[in-house]
Amino acid sequence: MAIMKSEDIMGEPHFDKARHIKYWTRCLKTLLPHQYTSNESNRMYLAYFIVSALDLLGALDSVLIEGERQGYIDWIYRCQHPDGGFRMWPGTDFGAKANRENAHWDPANIPATYFALATLLILKDDFKRVNRRLTLTWLPQMQRPDGSFGETLVSGRVEGGQDPRFGYCATGIRYILRATTEGDLSIDGQVVKDVDLDAFVRCAYDGGIADAPFHEPHAGYTFCSLGALAFVDRLNTRGLPTEQPPTAPCHPQSVLSWLVYRQTELADPDAGIDSEFVAAQDTRDTRKKEDGVTSEAQADGTVPAHQDPECSAGVTIFDLLVDGAGMNGRINKVADTCYGFWAGASLHIMQQPNLYHHEAVRRYLLGKTQHLVLGGYGKFPGDLPDLLHSYLGLAALSLAGHDQVKEIDGGMCLSKEARSRLPAIWESFADSR
Amino acid sequence: MGKYADDPAWSDLTPLPTDEGGSHPLAQIAYSADYEETMSYLRALMAANEFSPRALDLTEDLIDMNPAHYTVWLYRAQCLFALNSDLHEELEWLNETALAHQKNYQIWHHRNLVVDKLGECGGETEFVARMFEKDAKNYHVWSYRQWLVKRFDLWEAGELEFTERMLGEDVRNNSAWNHRWFVVNGRAGAAGVGDPEVRAREVGFAEEAIGKVAQNQSPWNYLRGIMRRCGKPLAELKGIAEQYASLDRPDAVRSSFALDLLADILAEEEDGKEQAGRALDLLASRYDPIRKNYWAYRKDQLGLGELKQAVADVA
Repeated sequence: MAIMKSEDIMGEPHFDKARHIKYWTRCLKTLLPHQYTSNESNRMYLAYFIVSALDLLGALDSVLIEGERQGYIDWIYRCQHPDGGFRMWPGTDFGAKANRENAHWDPANIPATYFALATLLILKDDFKRVNRRLTLTWLPQMQRPDGSFGETLVSGRVEGGQDPRFGYCATGIRYILRATTEGDLSIDGQVVKDVDLDAFVRCAYDGGIADAPFHEPHAGYTFCSLGALAFVDRLNTRGLPTEQPPTAPCHPQSVLSWLVYRQTELADPDAGIDSEFVAAQDTRDTRKKEDGVTSEAQADGTVPAHQDPECSAGVTIFDLLVDGAGMNGRINKVADTCYGFWAGASLHIMQQPNLYHHEAVRRYLLGKTQHLVLGGYGKFPGDLPDLLHSYLGLAALSLAGHDQVKEIDGGMCLSKEARSRLPAIWESFADSR
Repeated sequence: MGKYADDPAWSDLTPLPTDEGGSHPLAQIAYSADYEETMSYLRALMAANEFSPRALDLTEDLIDMNPAHYTVWLYRAQCLFALNSDLHEELEWLNETALAHQKNYQIWHHRNLVVDKLGECGGETEFVARMFEKDAKNYHVWSYRQWLVKRFDLWEAGELEFTERMLGEDVRNNSAWNHRWFVVNGRAGAAGVGDPEVRAREVGFAEEAIGKVAQNQSPWNYLRGIMRRCGKPLAELKGIAEQYASLDRPDAVRSSFALDLLADILAEEEDGKEQAGRALDLLASRYDPIRKNYWAYRKDQLGLGELKQAVADVA
């Protein structure tokens, strides 16, 4: 029996670009449905998804009409905090009632600041209204003695947990506003200190990376850690890390291995993982005998993991190429659209973009989680689209290579084109050292 | 008009509406009038630094609609402590809220604060177990459980047995494996698997799990982790690897993870590289083809050539 070559299988599922553009245009120009109320304090993050998605689809310029680009830029600046950084949305601002006694209840927010700056970059703002000195002065205050970064500063306390998301955003802010130059800067005649990079690098981990020692390794935290290390030019992509200055991770090979194992054919969250192996059990009866000799496995009742492709009811490369294989966030979990980005981008950041199976990821995204009516992507097959999964699905598709989507920069999660505007912006800062 | 606007108990406070600051807001949400009102009163309370029972009630309202609000939890905590509120009641309320908003991390951070302040953890592990019934892999809940163990010294209070129970229900639950690793090795100053008896027990535990389901990455990783932590070579795992993957019987491989491990072991052996390459070929062509680029990379790292097909795939 002939096994079909991959080229003989039907072509890749269609990427319905127009439908995605429609989805995102709706998100941009109309109110998000009330189900997003619980995400109101993430609005800057949502804003970034919307603007960046339209940019990746090459539709931003055509979708924005006269005055809109500037209007959106103005809204972002409206969220800028008087003491540096940005808010997630105007909702914490007390307006006329703001005073020194209540100021701590309206803090600048680390992720908000990164996403605000990223969105300004995509919208082609000139950054002239960014309180650069104040923001860079605030940034080191967001770092704890142990090197980790927090989310907000409230009454002198760094709040928000130790997790790498804040490290990623903090180093991203630093990268956008001062590139990779280390040490003190002189801005508007005042000295601005750098963050403590050595302390920050020492709190990273190897193998899969978690948000704290002994916590379970997780693709999202792995992305944040690797991305942060890349932002501060302290990433060790091969061999042993250095001590002076410290780089991480210690065992890049373990990280790569852990990341490639994120790719999985398991797509249905309701089918327990057992379903894969129920199928394998069934082959006990239909299994071929090789040359009349039974395999050892038959004798003790267990079944080879992946049989000869011709007779297995388990997963074969044929199945994978038709159904695709997305990425999960942790060992033994089912694939989820967004991990196509978190795990895929991590491999790109580690300069090994081709270690995972791009075609299988595309087939998963386009064939399983792309929403055929509304556009966008859901989390799992059949799910309705939401902003996060729709954006990260698009980002993952770009990473896996698709000619209908702009090339994305894995480290910053925005188009390479947008990132390429940074050197000119750094030039315009013209600091003295 | 509104729940708060109509309530005389709130008539002294002027609500503060949101000011979007222009005609082009981004990601604006079609929230309800209730939410808008609650937010306006919350802003007024916070602007006035009021820490009162009515403030506490309002934060409950707000949290139910937007549990991710990054200052409301801090504000609620301050109210609780200022009012010297009953923290056991707070935990009761948190229980319900956690069940309603399972993916929210602020809830668990708040719980940390409350339980830490209470200084006792009665009922906590039971509540955690309830959360696991909904989702046995909830990341925040496992992190919280680790915090409980450290904070209240629960290392020998049934945690190992708990991991056994969880793994009995699902031997592929990697979060449970991870917790087991933590319980065995996470205590400051503990030898963990550095102690030969503990190592033998843990290796046995992993091998038994492999015996149940060989195609399960968790126990294989666990074994690798043990060797690494003890500074022992992977070669010590050759025996178990070969039980499930042998180059002499390429049709009878029972675990791709065993084959991967075998490749690593052979790569370290003198004259083992070529055999390591054969293992990688088998993975690429039959037992784990989705990762074929990675197996090719591994071969490349060993200085070996192109991947060979272990099974012909043409008619």
